[in-house]
Amino acid sequence: MLITRRLEFSASYRDRKGATHGHNWVLEVTLDGPVDAETGMVIDLKDLKDVMEREIEARFDHRSLNDDTPHFRERPPTPETFAELCFALLDAALPEGLLHRVRLSPTDDLTIEVAR
Amino acid sequence: MTRVIRRYAFSAAHVLARGDWSDERNRAVYGKCANPSGHGHNYRIELTLENAPDAGAQLDAVVRERVLDDLDGRFLNRETRGFARLVPTAENIARHIWDTLSPAVAPARLACVRLVETSNNSVEYFGSEPAP
Repeated sequence: MLITRRLEFSASYRDRKGATHGHNWVLEVTLDGPVDAETGMVIDLKDLKDVMEREIEARFDHRSLNDDTPHFRERPPTPETFAELCFALLDAALPEGLLHRVRLSPTDDLTIEVAR
Repeated sequence: MTRVIRRYAFSAAHVLARGDWSDERNRAVYGKCANPSGHGHNYRIELTLENAPDAGAQLDAVVRERVLDDLDGRFLNRETRGFARLVPTAENIARHIWDTLSPAVAPARLACVRLVETSNNSVEYFGSEPAP
């Protein structure tokens, strides 16, 4: 069973040419796990929400990816590298193997998918 | 492989709570969804079918009769047989829809039931198949 939760947040970044972009990012986080026979749930959505707020929203919402986070000193922030970072942060915070994929959309017209 | 994706909608009330658990335990596991008065959602169903070259009207009739007439406008825990005992989580509703429709859509094969509970959460069920 796949379960998906969506989070929207705002963040800016500077590309290699020095131009600053800002977006309302939409992150869709999908877990793949068995349905617990007792609760009828893969995961308590509140727990998933808390992880997404702590690992993503608290780090990036209303921030500059370049200046306000330590994650883009070695490589430039792009939708692709940002999506890979979101996957890595969530994968480390969730029970092992539960994260199936993330989809990160900087705009309605573009989505980056990172899967295991 | 050609697949058909068909969308439906229904509205229903539910409570997430087990009758054999105390109120405290239900609150601890299901949070505000355990409020005994119930709350509601506008659910959307997305069915993915394989081998369904002519799925239109016949599929709609099957879904209407077996799923929508049963669930739409109901308090799931109190007014449907499927959820008299089974807690109507999104996961369990998706599986209930799968179990109801899967034998009824032949010769087409049901490949996925996606149930959208709110704009922020959804589940996808593939029967015994692993998620692609």
